[in-house]
Amino acid sequence: MRNVILEVKDLTTKYITRFKEDIYAVDHVSFKVEEGQSLGIAGESGCGKSTLALSLMGYYFPPLHYTSGEIIIDGLNITGMPPDDVRRTILGREIAYIPQAAMNALNPTQKVIGFIEDVVQAHYPDTSKKDIYDLARQRFELLGLPAEVLQRYPVELSGGMKQRTVIAVSVILGPKILIADEPSSALDVTSQKMVIKMLRDLMENGYIKAMIFITHELPLLYNVTDHIMVMYAGQLVELASAQEAVFDPLHPYSKGLMGSIIVPEEGLRNVKLTAIPGVPPNLKNPPPGCRFADRCKYVQPECRTVLGQQLREAHGGRSYRCIFPETVLRETYANEQAHGQTREQPHVNTPR
Amino acid sequence: MKFMFQQAFRSGKFVTGFSIFMAILLVVLIYPLIIKDPPLTIIGRGTFFEPGIYVNVYDSLGSPQYTLNLKGADARRVASRLNDDDRAAMQEWLVAAGVPEAEIDTADTPLLLELWFKTYDPTLSVPGMTNARRNYFIRLNNSLQGLLDPNDAILAARDEEGALQQVGTIAQTDFVNVGQVPNVRLLPLGTDNFGRDVLTELVAATRVSLQIGFVAGFIATLIGLVIGLISGYIGGIVDDSLMFITNLFTVIPSFVLLILISFSIGQDKRGAFTVAAVIGFTSWVWTARAVRSQVISLRNRDHVNLSRLSGHSLFSIILRDILPYIASYVVMALILQISAGILAEAGLSILGLGPRTTEVPTLGLMMNWAMIYQAHILGKWWAFFPVILVIALIAFSMNLMNTGLDQVFNPALRD
Amino acid sequence: MKAYASYFSNKLLWFLVTLVAAFLLNFFLPRLMPGDPVAAIVARMAQGMTNTSGVQAIYEQYTELFGTNLPMHEQFFLYVRNVLRGDFGYSFSQYPRTVADVIGASIWWTIALQLPAILVGWIIGNTLGVLAAYRRGGFDKVLMPSSIFVSNLPAFGMAVILLVVFGVTLRWFPTSGGYGFDMIPNLSWDFIWSVIVHYQLPFWSIVLITIGGQAIGMRSMSIYELNADYVKYSRFMGIKDRQIVGYVFRNAMLPQITGLALAIGTMVGGALVAEIIFSYPGLGSTILTAVLGGDYPLISATTLIVTIMVLIANFAIEIIYGFLDPRIKAAQSD
Repeated sequence: MRNVILEVKDLTTKYITRFKEDIYAVDHVSFKVEEGQSLGIAGESGCGKSTLALSLMGYYFPPLHYTSGEIIIDGLNITGMPPDDVRRTILGREIAYIPQAAMNALNPTQKVIGFIEDVVQAHYPDTSKKDIYDLARQRFELLGLPAEVLQRYPVELSGGMKQRTVIAVSVILGPKILIADEPSSALDVTSQKMVIKMLRDLMENGYIKAMIFITHELPLLYNVTDHIMVMYAGQLVELASAQEAVFDPLHPYSKGLMGSIIVPEEGLRNVKLTAIPGVPPNLKNPPPGCRFADRCKYVQPECRTVLGQQLREAHGGRSYRCIFPETVLRETYANEQAHGQTREQPHVNTPR
Repeated sequence: MKFMFQQAFRSGKFVTGFSIFMAILLVVLIYPLIIKDPPLTIIGRGTFFEPGIYVNVYDSLGSPQYTLNLKGADARRVASRLNDDDRAAMQEWLVAAGVPEAEIDTADTPLLLELWFKTYDPTLSVPGMTNARRNYFIRLNNSLQGLLDPNDAILAARDEEGALQQVGTIAQTDFVNVGQVPNVRLLPLGTDNFGRDVLTELVAATRVSLQIGFVAGFIATLIGLVIGLISGYIGGIVDDSLMFITNLFTVIPSFVLLILISFSIGQDKRGAFTVAAVIGFTSWVWTARAVRSQVISLRNRDHVNLSRLSGHSLFSIILRDILPYIASYVVMALILQISAGILAEAGLSILGLGPRTTEVPTLGLMMNWAMIYQAHILGKWWAFFPVILVIALIAFSMNLMNTGLDQVFNPALRD
Repeated sequence: MKAYASYFSNKLLWFLVTLVAAFLLNFFLPRLMPGDPVAAIVARMAQGMTNTSGVQAIYEQYTELFGTNLPMHEQFFLYVRNVLRGDFGYSFSQYPRTVADVIGASIWWTIALQLPAILVGWIIGNTLGVLAAYRRGGFDKVLMPSSIFVSNLPAFGMAVILLVVFGVTLRWFPTSGGYGFDMIPNLSWDFIWSVIVHYQLPFWSIVLITIGGQAIGMRSMSIYELNADYVKYSRFMGIKDRQIVGYVFRNAMLPQITGLALAIGTMVGGALVAEIIFSYPGLGSTILTAVLGGDYPLISATTLIVTIMVLIANFAIEIIYGFLDPRIKAAQSD
């Protein structure tokens, strides 16, 4: 059994709107990330995947609020720690974050080295500027970034360079786990490749021990991560290995989601792309039964009446949230496939 | 357009601002229907009459009289002519005149007055007393005469020989009903330095100032809109040259131009609308810049390109594909221009460069008169405070409407 | 540094162009107006005068003085020469003082009053604005409505209110003038104290008005910046909130500096009117006396001086801005 780097137990966080309504964007989510693992989070926009990433930091500011559950990083439970302790000892040191649209993640009026100084001194106030510079220079060069970048303002860097700089800054304090929220979605293909390569290198060279990767680009997810977690309406609906999640999804939502992958392969041109009709439920008042029921084509009356549905274990250590047993689901899918269109296993391009 | 208004009325700020503005507008429109006096007639002989109800004394004598025995009437009568400051001053004089301080009790009115009348001598010069102070004591002494006299006042008329004959008396308990006195004038804000009713004047001034604001605002918005549209849509050398001029007028303060132009026009030719036009012609710069940047962001939108490719004329593209998109923005700019125009008029008038003073009052002119006659230093608050309040309320309501609209149309600003 | 030099020379060129334009406007505007300024002055001077030949004599004298009988280009060169020589001719209303003499006596009062007042108001306003955006809650709820109300008061309105409250009612400060009316300017402590006391009300009325407008602008800029991605990222990198507020302050301040450059003309205009309320011996009061006295050369020179002051302030702000915003440098080196 490998070392567990991040363990999340029943984590629930909510947004409080300015009308004082509670919106549970992360609803009783539990999972583990082991050493050397990278976990992908998939789901539609607004399903709570970005909120989950924010919630994992253990550092909340309005409108996001912690409700219940635990976050354990490498054996250390950070829930309940005073916020300033989290800031000083956890953020950047144990867990680091690369924001969505990292293009604007750097303060526009500060040189890169200036920000690095602030980051290091926020955790180790006594470090000298020279030491910080040496550290930054060494780290940048190891990651294949020119040291001149340190003396530049963010506006003077290209988009891809900015993103790689953000990644390098994120790991400057040697965090154990890195959370990347759509790190490459705003970039051109070449820059995307470089960013993905950089993230892989970080894992392979042991700069970080685990990674959580969030993207709406499923092919990318399949190529970068070894486990995939599918979220729907604030809940975890399926957790499986990347291979299984993409090619053998159990939950009807995952099935629909994977069906919407655009695969530009010869021979697949005629495969009908399936989109999932309907919209996710309003999280202010989620339905009491299965949250996907309204959009599910296999829906049964009991889906709406069985309350508080739990995750089910399936064979191979995977789990999903549906009232139907694995066998029933597989049978249904097989029947459908026999009558409907056939689809080969999509072969997905790797942006290496 | 209809949708725009519906949206706007869902913003609390807009509704508040709109209500304040409408209230001002209603007063301005309805008041002249009730009080038909021309605003600049001089009714008071003297300056700065206090706000209040003015009752004709002569008519009161002829009105039916009623006896009301009110408790404390005497005390109030005494207090109105002899306040605590006066008492302290009397004590000061008496002490200076050699009366031992222990003998003086300023709280006991009869005793104090007795002592005063016994001792006071206007010819006696107290060392170190200024002339103004001596005059004050003479006035005080006069007003104190007969203060405690319990007798009725006598009304007399001349008979055929010219001798005075008593025709009636007025007791201290006699009252008249204000409703039965034929001539009563309510002056809620008193009179100004020329003896004109401030409220009537203020309402008229508000109307004229609003007109000035609207004219100035419309002129400025129109010029700004045209320049912004042409500059932004056509681009190239036209844009460069128009923007050069616009930038020039951005840094050259518009009030300097205002002063120069207003002064050159000369007092006689400066009517309210000339001033409004001058303000309009010097304040279009902001609108032009804002409209231009909006148009540039619209210029290459698909629907505009489509119209251009379909061979629509420049005029029709601007009218149909650009104007509707910046309409809300232009309305906001207009609102700000109107309120800026009102402020500009006020500033000019204080500098003595406002509209000529013979026809209509404006808020700025009222302020100017109050300042010239030192109402602020004399403490005649009713001559200037209501003016400032109206200016501030107009600006405040316009600003609220503008912020409200801004929040409706730019969701990013909602917080 | 090379990029900055190019920015600087760009701005300097623009400054000179505006200066020339302002100068030309100052000369031509009055002459383009319908009517003869000299005739207007004479009409005012001659009010109540029945002797037509007397009026005619005044008219001719002023035409001579003002040079309106010369062709336009000669008038222009005369004007340029006068300006360059530093005297702007004689003041009509305060003859035999020269215009330069009159302005020289009042300009320093205006500079000493307005420069610190606008700066102090700007700094306080921006600090309050960023705090309101950051703290929200009660502080924001009190500060914002009062700022909005204050910023809607015209500068002279604020001046009158301060004057009535603190000058007339409470008698804490004198109500008018730049120093005690019974004093002769000298370097004694009495005089300096008197100047300081007289300074307070005009100063604070300008400061308060400036605070109101700036706080509102800074608050919305800061709210915008607080939602920026770098704030979130900095927080998750464990940077202290206090330091993040520093980032936000700096970034939100940059547009405020540009805003100051654009608004400085209007601010100065408002402040000049406020000077009049306090009979402060600055340029505002000079304009008023010039207007009342129909003193054409004085008006023209005062407006030119005010324009130049505003242009210099504007130029200075642009230059400082270039140092503060690295984006300028990047844009220039492209």
